[in-house]
Amino acid sequence: MRLKVKPTTIAVAVVVLAGVLFVINSNRGPAPFNGSNLATWLVVGFSLGGIYAISACGLVVTYSTTGIFNFAHGAIGCFLAFLYWELRVNRHWSAPLALFAVIFVAAPIVGIVLDVVLMRRLRNAALVVQLMVTVGLMLTFMGITLTLWKPTTARSLPHFYEGTAGVKFGGTTATWHRIITVGLAFAIALLLRALLYRTRLGIAMRAVVDNRNLAGLNGARPGLISGASWALGCMTAAIAGILIAPETGMVVENLTLVILTAFAAAAIAQLKSVPWAFAGGIFIGLVSAFSGQFMAYGKDWQYAADAIPALILLVAVLFLPHARLETGTIRATRRTERLTKPWEAVAGACAMVALVVAWANGWIPWFYGTHFGQRTAVWLGRGAGFLVVGMIMLSLIPLTGWAGQVSFANFAIAGFGAAMYAHVGGQHGNPLGMVWVALMCAPLGVVVALPALRLKGLYLALATMAFAQLADKLLFRHPAIINQVQNGALYAPLKLFGFRISSDAADRKAFVIFAAIAFAALFLLLELLRRSRWARRWIAVADSPAASATIGVNLTVTKIAVFALSGAIAGFAGTLLGLSTGALRVDSFPLFAGLPLVLLLAVHGVRYPAAAFVGVISLAAFPALYELLHQATWLDEVALIGPGLAAVGMAYRPAGTVFYAGRDLAGLLPWRRDARREKALAVAQLRDQNIGRDEIGELGLTRPFSLDKVVQLERVLHVADDLAQRPSELTVTDLVEERHGVAVD
Amino acid sequence: MALLSTEDVVVRFGGLRALSETNLDVEAGLVTGLIGPNGAGKTTCFNVITGLQTPDSGRVIFDGADITRRTPTRRARLGIARTFQKLEAFSSLSARDNVLVAAEQRRAWDRSRFNPGQVADELLARVGIAGVADYMVGTLPTGTARLVELARALALNPRILLLDEPSSGLNEEETDEMAALLRGLVGDGLAVLLVEHDMSFVMGTCATIYVLDFGEIIAHGAPGEIQSNQRVRTAYLGSAAASGAAS
Repeated sequence: MRLKVKPTTIAVAVVVLAGVLFVINSNRGPAPFNGSNLATWLVVGFSLGGIYAISACGLVVTYSTTGIFNFAHGAIGCFLAFLYWELRVNRHWSAPLALFAVIFVAAPIVGIVLDVVLMRRLRNAALVVQLMVTVGLMLTFMGITLTLWKPTTARSLPHFYEGTAGVKFGGTTATWHRIITVGLAFAIALLLRALLYRTRLGIAMRAVVDNRNLAGLNGARPGLISGASWALGCMTAAIAGILIAPETGMVVENLTLVILTAFAAAAIAQLKSVPWAFAGGIFIGLVSAFSGQFMAYGKDWQYAADAIPALILLVAVLFLPHARLETGTIRATRRTERLTKPWEAVAGACAMVALVVAWANGWIPWFYGTHFGQRTAVWLGRGAGFLVVGMIMLSLIPLTGWAGQVSFANFAIAGFGAAMYAHVGGQHGNPLGMVWVALMCAPLGVVVALPALRLKGLYLALATMAFAQLADKLLFRHPAIINQVQNGALYAPLKLFGFRISSDAADRKAFVIFAAIAFAALFLLLELLRRSRWARRWIAVADSPAASATIGVNLTVTKIAVFALSGAIAGFAGTLLGLSTGALRVDSFPLFAGLPLVLLLAVHGVRYPAAAFVGVISLAAFPALYELLHQATWLDEVALIGPGLAAVGMAYRPAGTVFYAGRDLAGLLPWRRDARREKALAVAQLRDQNIGRDEIGELGLTRPFSLDKVVQLERVLHVADDLAQRPSELTVTDLVEERHGVAVD
Repeated sequence: MALLSTEDVVVRFGGLRALSETNLDVEAGLVTGLIGPNGAGKTTCFNVITGLQTPDSGRVIFDGADITRRTPTRRARLGIARTFQKLEAFSSLSARDNVLVAAEQRRAWDRSRFNPGQVADELLARVGIAGVADYMVGTLPTGTARLVELARALALNPRILLLDEPSSGLNEEETDEMAALLRGLVGDGLAVLLVEHDMSFVMGTCATIYVLDFGEIIAHGAPGEIQSNQRVRTAYLGSAAASGAAS
């Protein structure tokens, strides 16, 4: 094979290398490069790397055999590690028994259940849905783990063979735990590679992902095979989780975030090569250990080490080869999509503002009752906060809903907006500063996306997740961006048309109303934009990049435009986010705070601006329920598991609540005759589909034929029956014409 | 001078030669056929012409200019439009919006004044699917979605149109309408390159035909010559069957 290296690749490589050397040189720690330090580095690096490698190999195997990238891999590993803790430490099982129970019983069960209940449904789903479901699954597993094992108790998992000496190596000691880790990683990588390329099952696994139906017709059993893939994936997740828990501590977030490292290793492997995933894992382990051993970051960059996996992921994405233009898979779920009419959008925007104004003034009697009236100031503050978060959701609608680009970075961009606003107008309460910030966040949105623009959508999701992590661990912690020890208020109250808008209790009513007007204005802007040629072009590019290119659409420019728009909206929302909290903390914008927003919007319908408003209402519903139910403790569990679980439900209802509500309820509006007609058509279609369903069971032909094929077959058989009983001069053609009223030549 | 020609185009996928030194000429005002068994390289050839696939060697010449290194976008602006064998319609847009996107796109380079909405409506009527203008393309039957793709390609007001199996999914009556439509289009001076499996359709509409087999052009000529060509029979039917048919 010829190795083609482009000059630009070499240039990027040189820049990256120079950057790495600069960072190493300027942050060297006190540890000298001597034999024993280097030995320690290798021991720690290889054992950490081994764990990452196990996780990454599992990820790659699941992806290459099922076509679904499992964002929940780390969370599943975390859950199973806690289960191991429960058996081994809490219930005092022996280690071999507990290991067997977790790795060979619990993990495969989790994998197979996931496959049967969720993953098979996702096979042909749009990437957006696949991502939302697996990210939702990640939050669900985190929630379940936090519910079953409350973080109020401190736990720790012992290393294997803790207390024994280990093996002397150079000037250091390699503990048995570490030796086992490295050996196990090697063994697993070799086994998985051999499984995929040397066994019948493995070959069938790879065939199924290429063409499930064809493989099925050739005797492979797709159900069994995808079940096996997920079982394997969960087993590797369990092993990695159990091995790393003694290193990171039994903390759900830490254990789950190990997955970013596995993502980076998988990206190095281009998501498909087990040996490269292994190498990538080891490499990242060595880099992390090097940083731990030899580096000492200044106090402005204290958390830099935590950002290493995210950085490696971003750099790996830079070097990936250009993707071929792919075909789209989004499926339409109804015959016609009726766009909101401009007057309807205006009416909707006015209704939102009116609702919020009425609520803020206490004109809605129910809300002014015992529970809400007592804490009006608190609730006004919350209301403003939810509306601002709703604006961040709005920023995702053109990007994810229309252009099909999944970004997890918009919450971080809003964080930058908040930080910037403190410098460019916020300190004087100047409203023009908000416009400035929006304009500056537009290019930021583009920069975040740029490395992944030329790659397939999954990499963009990974890269934006890495960016969010990087921003949280590296940038927001730097005093130049968020200075926590700064004296005085960050933001002066905003003065607009004689109103004071700030987080002070007295200014909150004005804030809520201002936020509602801003939200409604953005809503209206998006609704009008949806009818424009820009939105059409974004949807076209999402549906089929190849066809878009051949009708003269410049894909890069089109995508950059939507990232800029999204970034600007997120940045603007960020200024209000800063203003509504009044102060910024360095840990205000973690990755895990941004994910639920994306999921919540997706659950309500990522294509529809109205979904963001429904999202705001559902955000408000939680604290409202707490008050109504007098702080019932079971709500904590609902709050932990609910959002993720709702996103998981998208495997069954992918289009979002706003879509289904619109489809089923729009007919009630007097002027929506079209919706009533649409519904009647859908009912008729369903009736048509059910014809012959009973006979299919009798034929025993559910597989590999699809339902409509069998219905066709059934009709042909009827024709044949008729033919046998009728006079001989009749032909099949005559009968078909007679039955279906169509002319056949 | 042909409007479009490929000169010694070679495309390799790993060890497989998808196209080896392919030379094609497509003239304005004629339907040129490109036929061959499955996997012969027909769609790869389309991808090379429209820029979705960069050839390993060889050149693509359009209207006297070398366009081998141009992006698909630039080629669309020059007037090269295509449809796809595996549907590539914008499935979550309505049929009308599919065509509208292309017409609006043309506004970026076409100096003539036109109303994209009006162009879209006219084209939907011309290919005979005005009745489903508001339907989302993902819900339309395959044959109808192909017609949406055709209207979308025509919205670019192209100089050459590449059609990849336009008749699959159409019934016989619709295929006849398609043939009539193609005759009308070439009558207006358009060049058409047609990949097709329906032989009666190909023989009835094409002025000249190229036959591809394993990436090589094994025959070239008028429909009558192709039908009697021994190598073509062998390629399609296998050597034993062809000799049987000949004897």
